[in-house]
Amino acid sequence: MTINRKKASERLVTLVWGLGLIGLWEIGATVVENTKRSPQNVLPHLYQIIQSVFSTAMVSNKQTALQIVLSNAGLTLYRAGIGFLIGIAVGFLLALLMQRFVPIEKIAFPYLMMIQMIPILGMAPIVLAITKDIDKSRIVIAAILTFYPVATNTLAGFKSVEKEKYELMHSIAATDRQLYTKLLIPACIPYFFTGLKISAPMAITASILVDTLQGGGGLGCMLSQSLKHAMSIYVFWQIVFLSAIVGILSYQLMALIEKIVSPYERAGA
Amino acid sequence: MQHNSETEIKILGLCVDFPDKNSGDIIHALTNIDLEIKEGEFVSLVGPSGCGKTTLLRAIADLQEPTSGIISVKGMRPHEVRIRQKYGFVFQSPVLYDWRTVRRNICMPMEVMGIPKKERSKRIDETLEMVGLTDFGKKYPHQLSGGMQQRVGIARALAYEPEILLMDEPFSALDEFTKEKLHLDLLNIWKKTNKTILFVTHNIQEAVFLSDRIVVLSPHPGRVSAVVDVDIPRPRGLESRDGDDFNHMVSKVRHSFEGV
Repeated sequence: MTINRKKASERLVTLVWGLGLIGLWEIGATVVENTKRSPQNVLPHLYQIIQSVFSTAMVSNKQTALQIVLSNAGLTLYRAGIGFLIGIAVGFLLALLMQRFVPIEKIAFPYLMMIQMIPILGMAPIVLAITKDIDKSRIVIAAILTFYPVATNTLAGFKSVEKEKYELMHSIAATDRQLYTKLLIPACIPYFFTGLKISAPMAITASILVDTLQGGGGLGCMLSQSLKHAMSIYVFWQIVFLSAIVGILSYQLMALIEKIVSPYERAGA
Repeated sequence: MQHNSETEIKILGLCVDFPDKNSGDIIHALTNIDLEIKEGEFVSLVGPSGCGKTTLLRAIADLQEPTSGIISVKGMRPHEVRIRQKYGFVFQSPVLYDWRTVRRNICMPMEVMGIPKKERSKRIDETLEMVGLTDFGKKYPHQLSGGMQQRVGIARALAYEPEILLMDEPFSALDEFTKEKLHLDLLNIWKKTNKTILFVTHNIQEAVFLSDRIVVLSPHPGRVSAVVDVDIPRPRGLESRDGDDFNHMVSKVRHSFEGV
């Protein structure tokens, strides 16, 4: 009873939020429409954006708005994906090293935090100067943003293992390898996935942001071009919504993979 | 109970010192402990906190390095005994892996030891029955009560058939009813398996009910102040707690503490 009521009220909150946002958007769109200075409305009505998705009108290079968005989304996601995978590998290995060798943790951790504090837009030119290739630097930046949440969360997972569990392994004379395969790695899996869930949307955001720096395609590239009226404004809004959706989906995908690979349920899960 | 069998654990002049975390002073957790435990004996280590009872158990288990003195388990050092996987350690908390079912928790040490799969499964069935959890093998730890979780911990320590069970206040976190039930279970298991059991507790009644002998430890510095033979006849049941000799034994143990 109470659980159902709680769920119902949660649904109501979502509904109110959704309707409120749509209402605000439409008010804004109407206001902007009436003070319009450019040929296209900068803030179109929602129905116009939805219409543009299905529109067959060519926007540029004999492509519709949707075609432009999707082809560039593929590019961006590809770079984000590769960067993400590299980031996962680096993050996990770093966590292992920091778990194993405390001095490494003491030395490396402050630097990791500092790398994380540099804004992406500040880091991008440096990475570009080093890699001398915009594509590579986009991947590298996605990786840099990914590895930190993965490393810190995985390390937290290793650290969450109680002393008694180590002692249990010790008391049955488990080898070092068994300590990892039977205890430490399974214990850190939920933490590892928390890291993935944080960093998956970040890798995508970073990729889009770095796209804006130079040409060569990608969502961010199109984003800045469409803002400069070089292209339909609908491309811009489609990209904004697509990015948001992809970001959320990337999170959900990580949650799904976690469910599949962890053959157990946890307390409260 | 009479044990004419050989000495299993022999401790001579054992000292364990720690540096105090705050002051840096040396704390004498154990000084000059001499103790002999026979094969198949049920011995309790009893004392207030700080008396070193857990330290003594951990030193035998090779979880704590002695400062000086000798521990010999059938002529072997604790390290050798541990490497040969002859210790079954039961902790105060169940120490279960929450990502493994009850069966797979019990299985874990046997996986580590490379016991064949068929044999593992057989022993899991046996130990589950011993601790009365036959129907709970497929459950996850969080689905069990505290008492059941502790039983799984005991089953896990039994399944790989160690020679010596080392139990560190295994029932201290449980309610009285669960505790009494587990006491009876433990005595049954002990009778069936004939293991040497070293049992740490601060509960005198518990020690009297379970043990053949009680080693009374006193703190500052940690030392053996008495060893009391418990001559309450076996098999013991819940009614054994009501007899005069039980109460007499409890007060005898209580009076053997020094300077508490």
